[in-house]
Amino acid sequence: MIKKMKKSHSSLAVKAVAFAMASMLMIAGIIGLLPENASADTAATDSGKTVVLRVCNWEEYIDLGEWEDDEVIDLDNGDIFGENPLYEDFDEWYYENYGVKVVVEYSCFGTNEELYNMLTIGDVYDLVCPSDYMIMKLMSEGKLVSFSDDFFDAENEENYYVRGASPFIQQAFEENQINGEAWKNYAACYMWGVTGMLYNPEEVPREDAMTWKILNNPDYYRQVTVKDNVRDTMFAGIGALKSDMLLSEEFINSDNYSMRLRDEMNDVSEENLAVLQEYLQDVRNNAYSFESDSGKADMITGKVLANLQWSGDAVYAMDQAEEDDYYLEYAIPDECTNLWFDGWVMLKSGIGDDEAKKQAAEAFVNYLSMPENAVRNMYYIGYTSAITGGEYDDTVFQYIDWTYSAEEDEDSEEIVEYNVGYYFTGEEDNEDYIIYTTEDQTRRQLYAQYPPKDAIDRSAIMWYFDTEANARVNQMWINVRCFNAKSIPVWLWVIIGAAFGAAVFVMIRTKVNNRAK
Amino acid sequence: MKKTFARKYLGIPYAVFLVLFVIAPLVVLFYYAFTNSTGHFTLANLAGFFTDSNTIGTLVYSLCLAFVVTVACLLIAYPIAYVLARSKFKSKAVLVMLFVMPMWINFTLRLTALKEILNLIEGNLAYYPFLNSVIGMTYDFLPFMILPLYNTLVKLDGSLLEAAQDLGAGRRQTFFRITVPLSMPGVISGVSMVFLPAMTNYVVNDMLYNSTYIMGSLIGSYFSAYDWHNGSMIALILLAIIGVFTLLSGDSEEDTRRGGALL
Repeated sequence: MIKKMKKSHSSLAVKAVAFAMASMLMIAGIIGLLPENASADTAATDSGKTVVLRVCNWEEYIDLGEWEDDEVIDLDNGDIFGENPLYEDFDEWYYENYGVKVVVEYSCFGTNEELYNMLTIGDVYDLVCPSDYMIMKLMSEGKLVSFSDDFFDAENEENYYVRGASPFIQQAFEENQINGEAWKNYAACYMWGVTGMLYNPEEVPREDAMTWKILNNPDYYRQVTVKDNVRDTMFAGIGALKSDMLLSEEFINSDNYSMRLRDEMNDVSEENLAVLQEYLQDVRNNAYSFESDSGKADMITGKVLANLQWSGDAVYAMDQAEEDDYYLEYAIPDECTNLWFDGWVMLKSGIGDDEAKKQAAEAFVNYLSMPENAVRNMYYIGYTSAITGGEYDDTVFQYIDWTYSAEEDEDSEEIVEYNVGYYFTGEEDNEDYIIYTTEDQTRRQLYAQYPPKDAIDRSAIMWYFDTEANARVNQMWINVRCFNAKSIPVWLWVIIGAAFGAAVFVMIRTKVNNRAK
Repeated sequence: MKKTFARKYLGIPYAVFLVLFVIAPLVVLFYYAFTNSTGHFTLANLAGFFTDSNTIGTLVYSLCLAFVVTVACLLIAYPIAYVLARSKFKSKAVLVMLFVMPMWINFTLRLTALKEILNLIEGNLAYYPFLNSVIGMTYDFLPFMILPLYNTLVKLDGSLLEAAQDLGAGRRQTFFRITVPLSMPGVISGVSMVFLPAMTNYVVNDMLYNSTYIMGSLIGSYFSAYDWHNGSMIALILLAIIGVFTLLSGDSEEDTRRGGALL
């Protein structure tokens, strides 16, 4: 009797616990169903005091603080140190300067396409940081809010972006247009760079890395990685395919060289894609891998000799390798390089007509554009900031000089002059912007962060593709990556057919036998 | 009466889960698979899959890869499970733990380690992409094969084996005529736990540098090109293949049990 009672008691307890857990699950589920930002939104509109700014950026693409004590950057303009994430510091700065409380809800995305899909599904953000072609796509689809006139007022000291962005960037954002509107009306450049080859100079001569043909060079069979990303690899492929033409005197000296170059590099006609597909299939058979993130590590550990890489990631890889006394170099191929930008854009779906939000979003862009914050980001991420400080502030130049300048001593290498004036003033040989650095740096980090002017001259922006062209390009990429059924020999088809037939036969026979039993 | 009432309510959390995370996504999947970008009904996506030599090639490649991985897992797992189940060791649980423990370590971390080991052995990983995928997936999915096999083998009635021996069957004959048929349910559930993920788990492929697409990567590539329609259709076709496979294996499982009972 006692035993029985005990048993029923325990099973009751189990049931009670199970029921409690089940109801907890249900409650959690119901809470999860509520709109995520419901509470935050009401706080913003009702009280009129706290603005919630939903920011979505690339992963690891902002200074997240927590620097070691010895990482202080001591410039003449003062020390720079990252203690907290930059977006947290913004809250305080905004309150001090605008008297409005702001909370930044910061989140990340992995690829431009992922961001676009997130927006399509209905995720809402106010300020996002996609790349050039995605900015163009969003612009053409009318999904962006334009910056206010105040944002472009260079007289206002708090407009760090218009005051501090490199003239070279400002020009590009002015000249390039979508539907007759300049990029600059909708986008503020954050970071920029080029594409090139990161390589191991001990094994690869520089002239081999200075051409996109290295992707298909049999000397480096299974030793070169390309990007697992159709746009970057395609660009390099076009560069290699059209190499002779792109390097011909006639082409380079033509009057409308830049325009012609851009058209050639953005050629997604069916004929060109057919040739490209074949070429990239060869690349696939020759390259080490298509990588999305492992390329840097594989260069550092010496698994591969060359890696198609964005300039910023190349800087990171060179820095990391140097810690082990291993030196990598960067080459921007002679044919052409892909000049790319990541920029801040405000979304209609998030900002709408909310002026308070728009003001906070613009202030966020300006806050990131403060020279000391640009330096924090550059130091932390390794990419090149669009901000140079303009004529108002030389902090960024001091930082570049602090990082790369070298002094002549007995056993050190030769010191050379490296002029970065083009990025800071727009003039190529401005005497005030010379960095005295080691000869190596003209092929390493400094070269990647601020390429020589001639590399910019042969750069092209890769345009966004319309739906039709995009489908064509994607199909080409799938064809490159897939195992083609046409390459299956007849005997293999016979074996597969026989195996399938045998399996069906066995199954039927088993069934018939069982039924007979 | 009261009891059934309470039980009914216990089912609600799962019912909610089922509707939200299984049925609702399926409906969305069907919608996208059978519409085009203008939202009209179409069968073009379905026809497209079976007329493109690249998608068919990918299907064949994935099937081959999954087949090799499954066979490899089975060949490795069966002896281990057999030994584990038959061993006289008192706390078998400890032994089983030893084989399951690797699953406690994050899977990308394990793959990274495997990558380094393979790199040491092969010199250059890119020379053997198919082999690398097979090794990586076998390594990854092995516990899923060992556990169901062990579970069936450990429950195997020892008296049947003794009876077989009494009736004059040799060791080999006993194994193939008694042990193997009776462990078929374990084999089938192990196979279905390995075969299906092996067709779609492209993370292993990516990490071990196999640049050939399998079904999972193909679906992903359509989604990253904003083509949700073709992506959904391929996902649906994969679902159909899996469904047929499960249906057939479910049947034969029942057959085997009936066959086992007849012994």
